[in-house]
Amino acid sequence: MRIGRRDFLKLAAGAVAAGKLAPAALARLAEVLLSRDAPRVIWLQGAGCDGCAVSTLNSIHYASFDSLLLNTLDVKFQSNVMAAAGDLAVSAAQAAGAQPGYILIIEGAIPIGAAGKYCGLWPGTTMQQAVQQFSVNAGYILALGSCACFGGVVAGAPNPTDARSVGQVLGNDSRLVNVPGCPAHPDWLVGTLTYLINHGRLPPLDAHRRPLQYFGQRVHDKCFRRHKLCGQMVFAQQLGQGGCLEHVGCKGKKAYSDCPVRKWNAGGGGRYGVNWCVGAGSPCLGCCEPGFPDGMSPFYVYSARRGEEPRAPARVAGRKGRGGARRGAEKQRALAWAEQTPLPGPGGRS
Amino acid sequence: MRTTIVIDPVTRIEGHLQIEVTVDQVGGQLQVVGARSAGTMFRGFEIILIGRDPRDAVPYTQRICGVCPVPHAMAACLTLESAFGITPPDNGRILRNLVLGANFIDSHLLHFYHLSILDYVNTTGLLDQSPWIPRYTTADMVSGSAAATLISHYVTALEMRRKAHQMGAIFGGKLPCVGSFVVGGCTEQVTSEKIADFRGLLSEVRSFIDNVYLADASTLADRFPGYYQLGRGYGNLLAFGAFDLNASGSSKLFAPGRYVDGAVAPFDPAQITEYVAYSWYTAACGNKHPSQGLTEPEADKLGAYSWTKAPRYASQVYELGPLARMWVNNQYNRGISAMDRIVARAQEAKKIADAMNGWLDELVPGAPAYQPSSIPGQATGVGLTEAPRGGLGHWIQISDSVISCYQVVTPTSWNGSPRDDLGQSGPIEAALVGTPVGDVNQPVEVLRVVHSFDPCLACSVHLVRPGEAVVRARVRQPGRARRA
Repeated sequence: MRIGRRDFLKLAAGAVAAGKLAPAALARLAEVLLSRDAPRVIWLQGAGCDGCAVSTLNSIHYASFDSLLLNTLDVKFQSNVMAAAGDLAVSAAQAAGAQPGYILIIEGAIPIGAAGKYCGLWPGTTMQQAVQQFSVNAGYILALGSCACFGGVVAGAPNPTDARSVGQVLGNDSRLVNVPGCPAHPDWLVGTLTYLINHGRLPPLDAHRRPLQYFGQRVHDKCFRRHKLCGQMVFAQQLGQGGCLEHVGCKGKKAYSDCPVRKWNAGGGGRYGVNWCVGAGSPCLGCCEPGFPDGMSPFYVYSARRGEEPRAPARVAGRKGRGGARRGAEKQRALAWAEQTPLPGPGGRS
Repeated sequence: MRTTIVIDPVTRIEGHLQIEVTVDQVGGQLQVVGARSAGTMFRGFEIILIGRDPRDAVPYTQRICGVCPVPHAMAACLTLESAFGITPPDNGRILRNLVLGANFIDSHLLHFYHLSILDYVNTTGLLDQSPWIPRYTTADMVSGSAAATLISHYVTALEMRRKAHQMGAIFGGKLPCVGSFVVGGCTEQVTSEKIADFRGLLSEVRSFIDNVYLADASTLADRFPGYYQLGRGYGNLLAFGAFDLNASGSSKLFAPGRYVDGAVAPFDPAQITEYVAYSWYTAACGNKHPSQGLTEPEADKLGAYSWTKAPRYASQVYELGPLARMWVNNQYNRGISAMDRIVARAQEAKKIADAMNGWLDELVPGAPAYQPSSIPGQATGVGLTEAPRGGLGHWIQISDSVISCYQVVTPTSWNGSPRDDLGQSGPIEAALVGTPVGDVNQPVEVLRVVHSFDPCLACSVHLVRPGEAVVRARVRQPGRARRA
């Protein structure tokens, strides 16, 4: 079993006895731990699939999930893990919501059709009402997953429940950070939380309020399949083949995330994941983009020029000189991203 | 005196569930005399899918549920392959089984240690901080050193289920929501390195299942023998079958079948009917086989109280899940109860994990795992498989090469269903009747029975609470193309 904060102090005292920590250092440590309460978190789940919560269980790069709960955060309401149910759970959420300064995590979209009744959280409270209510005292609002950030699959045409994103419901809120993904990568959430806690302010954001550290890089630009053979791009003509997957539907040119480098489902080492969608031969769905899913689907169809046949590989290879200004801007973003990202170059399996 | 207890939200499940039980004195014991389960969320996936490229059903339907995305991917692949008339290569079939198996193990560990065990363990002195406080503490709970052991396994199990996801990602791309499942097989390549990585993780997880999970499940069963008598319900069990062991699917790790009137009987998918008498759907949606299914909300329907339809087999109520799969395959036959569901689930985790080790040997590195295909203009298809919580079915109709109708019937639609046209309660509702309640303010006994089904509510479709002001949902007619 991992240690709690109080246990940690006991262990630290033991370390002093063993001569590992100077007593003065221990005093400072105790001061820090006791003076600053663990940041309180209220985690609401609306019209979603709980996939982002399950993804967070896979956290390991910044902290494991048990360590987050035991040592880092004070999670007042999270319906997948909390012990209480029913009224007892609701009272915990409401008591926490009365004390300003918590981090409000919102997972899932917010249906506003039928007066919000497409998603009820507890008796007499819809998701829409809960978001309005709990946003008042929140220090930061973290929209987790593409549904909360942009509507996601729940808002896919014809959007039967009139599902909205957190930004659409709360308007232009300066406390809001969007951490999209379908689901969101645990590192994107935990890293953003770490930044909020350590720096006491929002991380640098892009135009869609996504942290640049994770969403500043175009998927295609760091993709291991973006290589040339004798100066020509190699394209997979069907799924299961090597080469760039653009012609079989990959949306990596329209999508921004660090998936190609970070990858998914990291192991004990905790730096890189074991695989990612494109690594497994599957086209990027562009799931972190505001246009997901309607702007990114059909998922398995070449979309650069929808309705046209893919261009011949030779012509695609001859792209030099096009889009210079855009590339310049991207290069700047890439440099900023590289500076902020502690991960070294591609590693692990590809 | 009759009292109504409303547990809303039911936590430590996937999705939004409300349980309402009526308790009364029966023979000097306060117990549940009536129950109603209702979900409180509706997203309309079946409506959103209309007019889309049929192949997009695989990534789309995975987003129905973040706990069991792989069974939806598997069901969608099988549905499309039956409509397209193709069979994936052996490598593709085995890779998909391995990823599905990883999802089963992850889900079973998550259910036992993280979703249900807190109903049985007094964590005072062990987990004295949010989100484990506030909590229920009754006399009838494990405490002391036994509790400390279970809670230390709670933490280890988090690591083990993470490793199960990691396994799935080796061949699935990522988890939750895999990328590599496509109609025609799997886009990931088989290499000896990946097989070795998978086996390394699998052996760690198998060791945990064999030495810790099974032991803890049996400890719990020994400590709470009363739950072998509670939560029985109708006692009818149904399995759709899963994990194809050959290309035709005629041999499966879990064969389909049902258990009714004390005997195992064959399963005929044509006998499934969905009723809507107590569901917020128009009468036109009722009494239909899912292949002809219609999702047409009618929110002001009198007498209805849930947005789950009531699927029935030959008009009878059946329970789905690990107990049903193990029972009809003659792997478990101790009894049908809340505790039997927990023990059967643990034994199933071992059976699947052991089988996965053998499947790794059947993979052929370098051989194809994907079979290309083209979209038919007109076709129908069906895909039946199993999710961790029970049988899962997808049905598709393709017109003009796009989806014209897509219906999903999930295990929690069966287990968490409302009453049907014949007035029969759903399995969870029926299982709750007779459950003793020690303290109406701490209804842990009710939670134990509900959690034994491992309900997964996002899969089911619901809308408003019973008794609340009714609303007219915006109805989209199935068949209307989304775009040209």
